[in-house]
Amino acid sequence: MLLDVSRLDVNYGRTRAVKQVSLSVREGEIVTVLGANGAGKTSLLRGLQGAVRPAGGKILFDGTDLTQAPPSARVRNGMMLVPEGRQIFVSMTVHENLLMGSYMRADADVSRDMEAIYDRFPNLAERRNMKASVLSGGEQQMLAIGRALVGRPRLIMLDEPSLGLSPLFVGKLFELILELNKSGISILLVEQNTTMALEVASRGYVLELGSAVLEDDAAALSNNTALTEAYLGGGHGPAAGGTHAHA
Amino acid sequence: MLLLQQIVNSLMLGSVYVTVAVAFTLTIGILNFLNFTIPTLFMFAAMIGWALAYWGLPGGLTGPSYWPVALAVGIIASMIVSLVVERFTFRIMKTKYGDSTEHAIPLVSSLGFLLIIENLVRIGYGTDAQRFPGPSADLTMSIGGIFVRVPQFVSLLFVVVIVIGLNWLLRTSRLGRGLRAIAENPDAANILGVDMHRIVPVVFMLTGLLCGLAGALFAINYGEVSPQMGEDIGTKAIAGMVVGGLGSIWGAVLGGLIVGLTEVMTIHLFGADTVQVAVWGLLLLTLFIRPQGLFGHSAIGKGKL
Repeated sequence: MLLDVSRLDVNYGRTRAVKQVSLSVREGEIVTVLGANGAGKTSLLRGLQGAVRPAGGKILFDGTDLTQAPPSARVRNGMMLVPEGRQIFVSMTVHENLLMGSYMRADADVSRDMEAIYDRFPNLAERRNMKASVLSGGEQQMLAIGRALVGRPRLIMLDEPSLGLSPLFVGKLFELILELNKSGISILLVEQNTTMALEVASRGYVLELGSAVLEDDAAALSNNTALTEAYLGGGHGPAAGGTHAHA
Repeated sequence: MLLLQQIVNSLMLGSVYVTVAVAFTLTIGILNFLNFTIPTLFMFAAMIGWALAYWGLPGGLTGPSYWPVALAVGIIASMIVSLVVERFTFRIMKTKYGDSTEHAIPLVSSLGFLLIIENLVRIGYGTDAQRFPGPSADLTMSIGGIFVRVPQFVSLLFVVVIVIGLNWLLRTSRLGRGLRAIAENPDAANILGVDMHRIVPVVFMLTGLLCGLAGALFAINYGEVSPQMGEDIGTKAIAGMVVGGLGSIWGAVLGGLIVGLTEVMTIHLFGADTVQVAVWGLLLLTLFIRPQGLFGHSAIGKGKL
């Protein structure tokens, strides 16, 4: 088990946003966490990365207890969060943003990995010396993912990566997620675009009001029409739309 | 020729303001915090340097010729005090009572440190100005008819090197990127492993170093130190920082030089009494015409440094 979370509690301000959530990600797996707005998905990821110190429970990453460790220790162990809203550094260049992903790395291979990122994202390579603020929304998302990749993660946690992207870019994004997974990176994906998330994931969890109410294979969750109605606030439609972005 | 001489003089005076203004702008830019202990750190390094040169250093290093060692110890003392201030104003008070957007607690507690340290030094050494036994401040050289005092000229070069070095640190090093990341988005920086508790003390150490150096340069150049020497420099450095633009290092450099020039020219034209009026008039004028300062960002609080 790569990531093994048991009975995790995370507070958001004074309210308990995540209650007793247990979940796991196996090496090489894509796991998705679904839920309506305010279900606690972002708090869950922030608690996992240590941006918020968990109020209770246990987080084991490859057998190491990281529950109370700072984010720096999680990054060093191979966990990377791509936060909601990208959170790139707009006052820095594209290149400097990518370098921030290597902040915890002490080895000398960073420049080689950076070139690999530029090969993967030619748009970023063209703009490497420009301020990141000139990038489009889709390019900023690529930069945020590229930044995480420079940290050589074993697990990438993506928080709503498709939010605000054009349908074309959403398609590209999910292709990228599958590619990264094939290259050996495990993925924990939080998405409101349920259809797409269940298409790429092997398993899924459903959060409601901070608790994990459902866990199943992605295929079983896709066929569960009651699920969308009950927990995901409806509005996402049946699993038919292909690459359309969420409403 | 007289005008040129005045400009050279103002450059020399401005170099001290520049160093302190850079210290202010560094803390504002990275931590969004106006550090009121800065004038005290400036004074502290100079006063400790003077006391050690006057009464002798441990190990029998007595006598005025040991003044460089004494000043170096003063600078280190000022860095240590700065770290103590960080512990209390930032780490303890802010994490206990504030949140990440809290600015008043560090500001007010740093003001407390300013008054306490200044008055402790007064109690220890009295309020009188003391003569610093440094190199002769009258040592001059003449370049094309312009007189330059050698210690001041060396200080100016020193300041230029320090500012370029600091800028290089911020632009190209891992530490510098971490500092700039915290300046722009502390949360995103944290997620990537930039540890606030490790990096904030670095900011305060740099602050102590810059202020200590400025205090040492002042002691050498003007041959005089006193417990209240920080007050005047502190206000003028703040004015220089605002004129240059909050959070901009080159802005602080230019602003500090402009304040030095304003001071020298005002004294020359209207006499010493009008200096504060002119300097703060300049500051208010800047706020009216260009509130972000010469080099500042129009949106204060975003992407500084």
